[in-house]
Amino acid sequence: MKGFKTLLWLEFRRNGIWAAILIGSLAFWAWGLFQVRLVEVSQQLEVRAILLVLASAIGAVVLALMIGRIRSETRGGQFQVLLLTPPSGYVHIAARYAFAVATAVVYYVAVGGLAWWTIAMSGLPLDAGSVAQLTLAVPFYGLGITVLPLLAWTLLLMVFIAAYRVSGPGWIPGTVMVLGTPFALRWLIEGIVRASYRLPGWHLFGGLEGAIRQAAAQSNGELDPIAVLPQEPLWIMLAVTAILLAIAGRIWQEVEG
Amino acid sequence: MLASLNRATKQYGRTEGVRDLTVEFPPGEVVGVLGLNGSGKSTMLKLLAGLLFPTSGDVAVFDGPARAQRARVVYLGETDALWSWMTPDDAATFMVGLYDDFDVKRYGELLASLAVPRRRTKAMSKGERGRLRLAMALARDAKLYLLDEPLGGIDLLSREKILQSIVRGWHTDETILLSTHEVAEAEGLFERVVYLREGRIALDATAETLRGRGKSVVQTYREVLG
Repeated sequence: MKGFKTLLWLEFRRNGIWAAILIGSLAFWAWGLFQVRLVEVSQQLEVRAILLVLASAIGAVVLALMIGRIRSETRGGQFQVLLLTPPSGYVHIAARYAFAVATAVVYYVAVGGLAWWTIAMSGLPLDAGSVAQLTLAVPFYGLGITVLPLLAWTLLLMVFIAAYRVSGPGWIPGTVMVLGTPFALRWLIEGIVRASYRLPGWHLFGGLEGAIRQAAAQSNGELDPIAVLPQEPLWIMLAVTAILLAIAGRIWQEVEG
Repeated sequence: MLASLNRATKQYGRTEGVRDLTVEFPPGEVVGVLGLNGSGKSTMLKLLAGLLFPTSGDVAVFDGPARAQRARVVYLGETDALWSWMTPDDAATFMVGLYDDFDVKRYGELLASLAVPRRRTKAMSKGERGRLRLAMALARDAKLYLLDEPLGGIDLLSREKILQSIVRGWHTDETILLSTHEVAEAEGLFERVVYLREGRIALDATAETLRGRGKSVVQTYREVLG
């Protein structure tokens, strides 16, 4: 546990600036969302939704870059120092991952908060349950099915490349893994789609039904007033994440420096 | 035996780091690992540290695989491997948190005797960073110290301080393997010298044996490797 805490502290010192910049960038997104008031009313919700999706996507990329910063450390020699520390590869991977996930949680909950603010700016009524779902349930669900497996995959990719850096050309396994990922992802998504809705879904935004109907009328679209989230994708992606992390931890112990 | 290599070969792709290397290191020796650039010194030390795995042959430390013994071995690599934001206090936090054998009091004494400034490594000279890394390494209470070029690129006065610290910190049950190009300066430390050439052992002899032949470590270096 002492080793994990120290490695977590190291992550904070190594990547604290990245995390601060990422979270600080939310001020920019908030400014952008606010500026949308100048756009035609019927388009405001759509533009704001696009901005929020953009903020989420860019956040995921920044987090992946942050957690994947192994290459510069292998060149600088710091990675070799870490390889020879007593904690196992699993502890190293857990610490790196935990810091990135903590940053992601703060960021995406704040994005959820911006979504709430966006809806509030549109003058739609919000009940407390729906606010909680918007700022907590949706970000955590989104994190679970996208960002958490992405970060685990990035970590595994970088450790995998590092493992072949010294005694073999690291770009070959890296290329194989990158090229193989779309096929694996397609297979995974097809499996998830087949399995989804076998378990009871989670109902969200029941209290916002009226507001969503109003938004649908404003945008002349047809929106499902009550979102039902299937739980299978979350469990499957969390399982995939755990497997990717376990493999990364095992490979770490074989990495040469 | 504290550490041994048995017919160990390490290949980097098509390049050979060391070939068919067999050597044993008992407790209580200060061993000079000498050779020209590319002779396999760093590879040998990295194999013993567990930072590399042999392509063939065996490497054993404390009768186990080298990587598994990393908590009991000190390895000081030749690269300047500290984070730029790290201060000596940060380095202490790092070492205390990860190594049970790290002695904070000894570390403080080493920082003082090696005149390491209390600022970020980014703002330190190469010599100051080298001394900090050495303080981190020597403040551990291990039985095997693998020091790869701790004197490389460091000024004369710093080199003297580093060598003094190594001598002062050494206990008779500890083994130190020191690789250096500063052969003349470090010569007095060595009880045994392993000369490497093109990944193989060119000569493995005690300093006493060399003196018995009327040769110094430096003279033998020139003879064997020249």
